[in-house]
Parts: sequence; structure tokens; C-alpha cells
Amino acid sequence: MIKITNLEKFYRTEEVETIALNKLSMHVDTGEFVAIMGPSGCGKSTLLNILGMLDDPDEGSYVFNGIEVAHFNERKRADLRKHNIGFVFQSFNLIDELTVFENVELPLIYTGVSASERVKRVEEVLDKMQIMHRRNHYPQQLSGGQQQRVAIARAVVNKPKLILADEPTGNLDSSNGNDVMELLTDLNEQGTTIIMVTHSEHDARYSHRIIRLLDGQTVMENIMV
Amino acid sequence: MLKNYFKTAWRNVLANKFYAAINITGLTVGLVVGIFMLLWVQDELSYDRFNTKADNIYKIGIVGGTGLSKQIFSSIIAPVATFAKKEIPEVKDGVRIMSVGEAPFKYKDKIFYEDNFCFTDPSYFSVFDFPLIRGDKRNPFPDNNSVVITESTAKKYFGNENPIGKTVIVGQNEPVAVTGVIADYPKNSSFQYHVMLPLSRFNYLAYVKSKTSYDGKTTVPSMDADWSSFSFQTYLLTAPNTNSAKLEKKLQAIHERQKPEDAPVPYLTQALPKMHLYQADGSDGGMSTVRTFGIVAIMILVIACINYVNLSTARAMLRAKEVSMRKIIGAGKFQLFMQFMVETMLLFALAAVLAITLMFILLPYYNQFSGKQITLSLTSFNVWACIAITLIGTLTASSIYPALLLSSFEPLKALKGKITAGIGTTAFRRILVVFQFSVSVVLIVSTLIIGKQLKYILTKDLGYDKENILTFTMRSDMHKHADAVMDELRKDPSIISATVSSRNMVVGGSSTGNNDWDGKPKSSNLWFNQIHGDKNIIDFFKIKLIQGSNFTGAVADSSHFIINETAVKEMGLTGNVIGKRLRIQTINGTIIGVVKDFHFQNLHKKIEPVVFQYSPANSWRVYLKTTNANAQRAIAVSTVVWKQYNNDVPFNYAFLDESYRKIYTDDSRQGQLFNIFSVIAIVISCLGLFGLATYSAQVKTREIGIRKVLGASVARIITLLASEFMILIAVSTAIGLPVAWYAMNKWLQDFAYKTSVGWSVFVFSAFAATAIALATISVQSVKAALANPVKSLKNND
Repeated sequence: MIKITNLEKFYRTEEVETIALNKLSMHVDTGEFVAIMGPSGCGKSTLLNILGMLDDPDEGSYVFNGIEVAHFNERKRADLRKHNIGFVFQSFNLIDELTVFENVELPLIYTGVSASERVKRVEEVLDKMQIMHRRNHYPQQLSGGQQQRVAIARAVVNKPKLILADEPTGNLDSSNGNDVMELLTDLNEQGTTIIMVTHSEHDARYSHRIIRLLDGQTVMENIMV
Repeated sequence: MLKNYFKTAWRNVLANKFYAAINITGLTVGLVVGIFMLLWVQDELSYDRFNTKADNIYKIGIVGGTGLSKQIFSSIIAPVATFAKKEIPEVKDGVRIMSVGEAPFKYKDKIFYEDNFCFTDPSYFSVFDFPLIRGDKRNPFPDNNSVVITESTAKKYFGNENPIGKTVIVGQNEPVAVTGVIADYPKNSSFQYHVMLPLSRFNYLAYVKSKTSYDGKTTVPSMDADWSSFSFQTYLLTAPNTNSAKLEKKLQAIHERQKPEDAPVPYLTQALPKMHLYQADGSDGGMSTVRTFGIVAIMILVIACINYVNLSTARAMLRAKEVSMRKIIGAGKFQLFMQFMVETMLLFALAAVLAITLMFILLPYYNQFSGKQITLSLTSFNVWACIAITLIGTLTASSIYPALLLSSFEPLKALKGKITAGIGTTAFRRILVVFQFSVSVVLIVSTLIIGKQLKYILTKDLGYDKENILTFTMRSDMHKHADAVMDELRKDPSIISATVSSRNMVVGGSSTGNNDWDGKPKSSNLWFNQIHGDKNIIDFFKIKLIQGSNFTGAVADSSHFIINETAVKEMGLTGNVIGKRLRIQTINGTIIGVVKDFHFQNLHKKIEPVVFQYSPANSWRVYLKTTNANAQRAIAVSTVVWKQYNNDVPFNYAFLDESYRKIYTDDSRQGQLFNIFSVIAIVISCLGLFGLATYSAQVKTREIGIRKVLGASVARIITLLASEFMILIAVSTAIGLPVAWYAMNKWLQDFAYKTSVGWSVFVFSAFAATAIALATISVQSVKAALANPVKSLKNND
């Protein structure tokens, strides 16, 4: 599904140039659950952002589903992104002014799904995330675990092929964290490819494969058994 | 999709009540004031344009006199229209109007005092769009005893009865019959005569019957032969595309052929639609005020828009996270753009509804205050067009930039909170704030100077006494017994002194160019303002005699003249002028005195030459000096005397100082309007500044927290927050003061006599602007500075 080759990304300020990704190559197959680990500043988030087409690389190639996207313009990337990729963040990033239902509905609105179809699909996914009873609540009225379930619901409602999760349990206690990991595992078993950035060895154990980064390069790959 | 936009927008308004309130208040106030002012401007510009032939109708004026005595006559001599129609092919028709002060009209036992009445040609009803709705259109005045009235006048006189054929008594005993009715005048018509008598009647009464002209001596057979009496407003209807300059020359040629001694006598033409806002010679007659109001209206709207733009772009940073999330989820640029457009539209819709409601509520007060009669009727296309254009204009100005800015965030940076550094809008916002405050500074200076000038006019020593002076005009029966009347009035203790004159001292009177004196240069065409009176007139008005002697009331006084300093100068006389020969019209006499210049005219005009003539026969106006305490008694006494001669006519009087203030009603009213609008503009600017200061404190919460942890004092932090804005205010002042100086000097040029514009006004304005701004931002700065740093640092994580 994903194949990146010699990917480079620099951050420049007036005086300093920082290399975030240094000729990084990797691939992820369809249906895989991959965890990316490494110390702060190793390039995990940069990589995730490029994979999610939120950012573009300075050098190298990124093939997504057989299409070279490294030099796509923003509009093309946005189009590809909204149909194929769901995001889950550490801080949930729900929109405060929208209810649970509306937050989950939003991606469907942006992809132009009809109103009746939207209701059906949102209800379906809320049901699956066991958050249906909270559908008319606002994010501030929910616990962290509930909020993350809404965020996951929002990430999967468009039935993306790939979910990118950035420390999805970082703001949760261990019990809620485990719930979220179970959910992701379920999604993966149903065929969704998942790439997750994490600091937690515990969480990483849910994945099939761990890619360890240091200074923008792959230093080790562990295949989980 | 649209529903979703509205839902989000609405919740955003609710979630940020503070900003929404500031935005909506600013917009609403801006819209109300801006639209009110634009309606005022629109109304002023619309005068007389309802006349379908307006562009081909010219008002004719004559330039008389030289030097300081140069004047423009907008009422001219009667024969011009007659000759023009006969001899100039492009002149299709002509209308003369001779307006008459006041007269009583009696129907059965009811008396109506009409002050808007005139003699006019029958063409009045066809050249202008005032067609007869009753009566014979082709022959409005079948004979000299006809009268045409307006619909509401007909209603006032006759109720619901058919007015045609009804007889009313004009003046003392002159019956006329109603032969026509016209619709009431549009409010934006310069003509507002409610009663119109045929000009041929005036010709008959004033010329044919009496066989005399203005001076009571020369015999003139008809008004069309009178080339000296400047009493007739004259309008010519011309063929389309008539060259007005050529028309002026042709009129001048006719005049100089008929009366060679007047040459050169330049003519002026003025297109009808220009009449309301320009003087006859094309100089300003209100247009600059209209222009100023238009500019201020647009400035107020721009200030309101700037508020919106400033607040929403500032808030954009706080919303960056939401916007980014939407982008990540899949929102396209256009979708986000639309979302923000809808948000702006929603706020605008709320503001517009509020503004229109407020306008309906405030309209009566506004009309009263501005002296306008604007109606917000649903059918008035102009009014709604004005409102719609304003709304669309302001909406466009304030929505596009914030929407573009918000929709173009780079989502990643925004999510990480790096957006504050990323958007280069701070400079842009600073420019907007500087603009707003520059305008405010200009308005503060202007308000102060306009106020100063108005006070100067109203309190200026005019060189004559106008306080506690009761005045009224005698009617003919009373005038025949003027001596007895005056004796009786003088006897009453409430009356300190009394005099009679031909002139209404604060309004104006006759003038003449028919004169001669020893050594008069050939090129001189000097005009004198004439003030006829009895022997008391100079003392009565406390006018200072600086040379020679006063009238004594002797028979010889009828050929004695007292002139003012300006007359001496303009006549080119030097040395002792007493005893020099002077001829005014048919009176050959000598100069016996010179008075100090005094302001007998509007202060917009320079003092002109004046000649006092001893002529109680020409003096119909009574002046009575009383005291504040005795004023009521003086009125009562005068009323009793009046009744002896005019039992059936109500007693109409005025106080000179009130009449004087009335002349400046327009000036005062515009001054007050300007004051109010300036204050509002400044308030709106402050509202924006307040919002920005709040935002600035919010953004800097973390910085303030860190500084406090490191030991910064509250005072230091307030200075830090305030200094950012104080620099902007300083720049605004630096820009605003010179602009204000220039604008105000231009405005003052309209006055021949003006207050001095000292530096103190500018210093004060600079201080005022700074103080207002400081007060506005300090509330937020103090609040931010006092906040607990532990809390603010935690919050910002």
C-alpha cells in the first residue's frame, strides 16, 4: 500500500537547518498494523504527517496505492486524503462547537455523502464504538476515553483504507488506553491498514511490526509474533 | 452543506458571545449611522431632479457691482424672460417667480397666514413638473383674480369641498377665485409655494395701476419695461444641448442693448438640479457639506468593517486548531472559505436586522434633528437601494479577507500552535488600526474646530445691537399712521427705544447700483446696500458713528447719507468725506456721516458697502428695544396697537437675536450632526481596539505568565501590553493631525469671518485620542497582568 524511498525532510530557520527525515525508506502492506517508535525529535511525527499527506517531503518518493504523491499539490493531496486516510490524534482534536454526531458526520459532509446516508453511517459507527448514547453531547461533556472513541469513529466513518494514529493513548489512563487499542485492533482485523506513532512499548505490542527511528533514519525493525 | 455552515456559524456566535457582541454592536452602530448619513446625502443630491426637464431648465442670475460690492442677483429683472423667449431661439419657455413675504388669506370666517406664497407665470405649471390636478391645465390663471393652491392648502381652507371656484380674500380686501389645484410638492423640491397668484396681477397692481416703480418716482408702464427692479426669480426652459455660456452672452447682449448704462452686466446660468447645493455663480452652497457627510459616512462604514476584519483575523489564530482539523478531515479550501463567508453573513444579517429596526425607531428623532423628512417606506426604491448597497459593500469588504486568511492555514502548523508566527497579518492589522485612529483623530480635531467656529459666529460682536429687539412689519393702514403708532409704543415703559427701517437687519434688504459721486471712476459699478430709517436708527442699533453727524429728523435729512467704512474705501474716497456729493437712485445729496463697519449680513459674507437713508416713508419695519424681563409686556403692547389697525390679521413678530440664530440653524445643525457622528465613529474604533486588546492579552497569556514567574511587576506588564498600542496611536496622530489641519482650513474658507485655528486644538486632540485609546486597552491589560501565572502557563499547554 505504501512505499517510500529515500525520503528527506528538512526544517530550516534563518540560521539552523534540521534534518527531520534522512533518506528514509520503508513500506507498509495493505492490512498491516505498524507501530513507529523512537525518542522525541526522531522524525516520527514528520513521517506520519507525510504519510498522511498533510506535509510534503523535500526529496524522495512516496507511492500510495501505486500512485506517486510526493509532489502532489495541496488540492490533490487533500482529495486523496479525504477518501483514503483517517486520523487519530493524542489530543483528540474534536471540534468543540459540534456534537458527537456532528463531529463524526463532518468527513461525510466534506466528501459529499447524502444526508440520509450520513445518518445511517454515523449511527452505524457510533454504535460500533459504543458511544451512541452520547450522540447529542458536546466534546467537553465527555471523558477522555469517550472523546478518543468519537475521534476514532470520525476517522473511520468514511471507511478509509489507512488510519494514521499519533499517540492515540497518550492522554488516556491505562484502562481507556487499552480500550482504544482494542478498537484499533478490531479495525485492523476488519482490513484497515493502521500506522501508529507511539512512545508506549505496551501499545506497540498490539501491532504486527515496529519500526524504530533515530535521527530520521530507520534503526531497527521488529516483527511481532 | 449550507445548513451545516449555518449551524456551525450560529454555534460559533453563541460560543464566543463577547466577540460576537463587539462585532455586532460595531457593525450595527456603523450601519445605522452610515446609512442615515448616506440617506441624508442622497436626499440632498436628489433636489429638483424629479423635474423631467430639469437638465434643460436654467436659473438666470446677474452679476452686479465691482470690488467688495460685487454681488450676484438670483432674483433678477422681469423683462429678461420676456425678451429671451422672443429673441433667443433655444429658449422655449420662461418662468418668473416673485415671492412675497407673508399675507393673510381669508375664507369665510377663517384666516390663514401664508408665508409661502408667490406671483408667477402660468408656465410654472408646465415647465416644472407641477401639473394641475384640478382646473384647466392649459389655462391655470384665466384672469388676474385667479389663484392656484396645493392639495393640502385646499384641504386646509375648504375641507373636503371642491375648491374650484371658491373665493378667498387676499390681504385686506382683494377677492380671488381658486382656478386650479396642484399636488403637494415633493419634499426635495426647492419650490414650496402653497399659494400662487398670476404674475400679471402683480404687474397690474404694482405698475399698471400705480404707474410707479421701486423709487416711487419714475414712471414705468409695466414690469416688462422695468430694468431696475431685481425681484423676479427667472427660469428658462431651453432646447436640449443648449450651450449655457452662449446663452449667458445672449442675455447680456439683450440687457446692454436695452439699458446701455448698466454695461457690463454679466449673466449667469445655473442648471436646475444644481440650484440646491450651489450658489448662482457655481460656488459652494452646501455641496461641500454633502461631500463631507458622504466621506464621513463611508469612513464610519469602513471603520466598522475594519473592526470586523481585525477581530476576525485576530480570532483566526485562536481558531486555527478547528480549521486545521477540518482540513485534515477533508474540508476543501472553498468549503472553508464558504464556512467563514457564511459566518460573516450571519453576523451581518443579525447586525442588519438590528440596524434596520434601530433605524425605524430612531428615524423620527433623526429627522427632527437633521431637519429632513426621510421615510423608510417599503416602496421607496432609493432608500432601499441605499441600504442594500451599503450592506453589500460592507459585507464584501469585511468578509473576503478573513475568509481567505482562515481557509489558507497550513493545517499542521496550526495544529501545533505555530500559526501565530506563521501568518503575517500583524502588520496588516496594525495598518488597519492606524487607519481607524487616524480617522478618529481627524474627527476629533474637526469636531472641536467646527464647534469653535459655530460659537464664534453665534457670539461674535456684530457691531450692532440685536439683543431683546422685537420686530414686525406694518401693514399699509398702520404705516399711514406710523408716527402715531411709534409714539404710542414709545410711551410704554417696557419699550426702551424704537425705530423703523426698510431693512430686516439680520436677513437683508434692497440694494442699488444706480449711484454717482464726485470722482466716481468710469469702471466702477458699485452697489450699495440700502438701509432706510428714521432719525433714531443709528443710535437704536448702537452702531458707532465715527465721522460726521447723525440724522436729526429735519426735512433736509432726506438728501443726507450716512455710509459705512467699507463704502468709503470702495468709493475710493480719501480724507474728509463729510459733505461730499453722493447720488443714490434719484436722490442727489451729501454724505453727512460715516459709521464703523458692522455685520448686517451672514458671516459667510464679507461686509459690503452700506448707505443709510433718512426715509420713514420707505420704512415699514418696526424695531422695539425691550429687556428680557419686559419682553412679554412689549409683545402685549404691540399686539394691542396692531389690533387697532389690523383687527382681522394675526400679529406676527420676531426677536432679532432669534432670527439671527435661525440663519445659522443649518450650520448649527450640521455641526451637531457632525459631533454625534464623530463620537460614534470614535466609539466604534474603540470597540475594535478593545477587542484587539483582549485578543492581544489572550495571545500573550503565556508570555505574561513566564515574565511574572521571572519577577516582572504588574506595572511593567501593563506597559508591555499598552506600549504596542500606544505606538500605533502615536503614528495615527502623526497622520491624522496634518490631514485635519488641511481639511479644517478648507472648511473655514467658506466663512468670511472665522475663528483662529491654534495649535492648542491639535495638542488637545492628540491627548484626547491617546487618553481614549489608553482607557480602552488598559482594562484588558490590567486584567491580564493581574492573572495568576500558574494558571496561565497551565492553560497554554
